[in-house]
Amino acid sequence: MKYKVSFFVNEEPVELYVPANMTLLYVLRDMLNLTGAKDGCSAGECGACTVIMDGKPVNGCLVLAPELDGKHITTVEGLSKNGKLSPLQEAFIAHAALQCGFCTPGFLMTATALLDEDPHPTREQIMKGISGNLCRCTGYKSIIEAIEDVASHYEGGKRI
Amino acid sequence: MKDFLYQAPESIKDAISIYQQFQSSAVIMAGATDIIIRMRDKLISPECVIDIKRIKALYGIEFSESKGLLIGACSTLNEIAENEYVKRFYPFLAQAAESVGSKQLRNRATCAGNIVNASPLADTATPLYVCGAVIEAEGSEGKREIPIDKFITFVRKVDLKPCEIVTGIRVPHIPGIEGEFFKISRRHEVDLSTVCGTVAKTGGEYRIALGAVAPTPVRLKKTEALLSGRKLTASLIAEAAELAKSEISPIDDVRASRQYRLDMSALIVRRGLERFAS
Ligand SMILES: Cc1cc2nc3c(=O)[nH]c(=O)nc-3n(C[C@H](O)[C@H](O)[C@H](O)COP(=O)(O)OP(=O)(O)OC[C@H]3O[C@@H](n4cnc5c(N)ncnc54)[C@H](O)[C@@H]3O)c2cc1C
Ligand code: FES
Ligand code: FES
Repeated sequence: MKYKVSFFVNEEPVELYVPANMTLLYVLRDMLNLTGAKDGCSAGECGACTVIMDGKPVNGCLVLAPELDGKHITTVEGLSKNGKLSPLQEAFIAHAALQCGFCTPGFLMTATALLDEDPHPTREQIMKGISGNLCRCTGYKSIIEAIEDVASHYEGGKRI
Repeated sequence: MKDFLYQAPESIKDAISIYQQFQSSAVIMAGATDIIIRMRDKLISPECVIDIKRIKALYGIEFSESKGLLIGACSTLNEIAENEYVKRFYPFLAQAAESVGSKQLRNRATCAGNIVNASPLADTATPLYVCGAVIEAEGSEGKREIPIDKFITFVRKVDLKPCEIVTGIRVPHIPGIEGEFFKISRRHEVDLSTVCGTVAKTGGEYRIALGAVAPTPVRLKKTEALLSGRKLTASLIAEAAELAKSEISPIDDVRASRQYRLDMSALIVRRGLERFAS
């Protein structure tokens, strides 16, 4: 059976008929062609599928498609505005906070939610905040530094 | 994952009546962090999934000295960990809630789901055991309250009648209770407990519960009796840690050996008590 869901993705209204046994991750990837969120494990372990749902980071692989009715979803594709990358995306580039890049959309979403909640987290809070995301390449140091950079120079998306 | 009927009732009554229609071929879904995995692995293939997250009455965390803490069945672990009353009156429960999975997972996972799932290693169980928490359930025949140590009966088995749902968890107010939650795991985040436990003190009494050391979480009644009203000396603590090992029956599994679990259980008891000795 298919379920009609009306929700918002990156502030755009979307209306879809979704099967019950599909996850949010595959609604994004296969139905909406938003392939930023990645499938690393489909089991809540790696954070590569992280998106922001109603203001909070969640694992896209652990949300069922019919649950989406009325929700607001932000994906990595929604971070840039008018073709301009977000300060966090710029910082990831500046600090070379990625190698293969598979984990990057997940880290960006987790860190975006972290900075939305508290624009100036400590290094400790950053490390704790991103601990639900795995990276096999960078060793995390550059990712933490990129987030710290934004935490010390920005507030509400504006440079201070 | 096999296909199923998805239902999202808006009242407890409607949820129960859908449940009655499908009986054991339906499952209740809260945060979905356990059941999506179990459906994906085909450990369960329900005909109907009843999502209770649209039921407003199942939300909220309330506290009063007379009634204690009431955690709605749909309150998430992050909401519990960040709640001011929980942090102040049940700090070890806040610690346990915060130790589950990752930030993303805790934005969805519920304490009620953690308890109904009834894994021996459920991190939020031992804080609830030391407080004598009560599970509030509702079914077609009305409401029931079940003490947590009677509610969890075995690995993945709980005392819920057919078509009953958990509406909340009530934790009595225990004035002056202090304590700490311990989690021993291979890594700090996104890992299950090899052993977990809560060691608490109220007046001259001690309350100790351990998880992942028996088919259900356990209160260490003999160890608590040994300590009752006594001054904590190094030798009494050592004796208590030794006695604790006799009250549990851990197994060997992928995460650790039985011996490691025995040793870590003694360590949790010792560290927990040392905090009160100084
Ligand atoms: C990556 C990962 C990491 C994890 N880490 C931990 C960890 O560190 N510690 C730990 O203890 N657990 C861990 N878990 C397990 C799980 O996340 C928790 O048990 C969680 O609290 C379950 O809550 P939920 O709301 O998601 O439950 P759900 O998946 O919605 O439900 C779990 C079970 O409870 C039943 N249920 C839920 N709510 C009710 C209700 N109100 N009435 C009746 N039945 C109900 C469901 O039918 C199901 O059987 C982890 C899981 C994953 C995927
Ligand atoms: S794909 Fe969702 S956590 Fe790994
Ligand atoms: S950059 Fe390759 S996994 Fe993180």
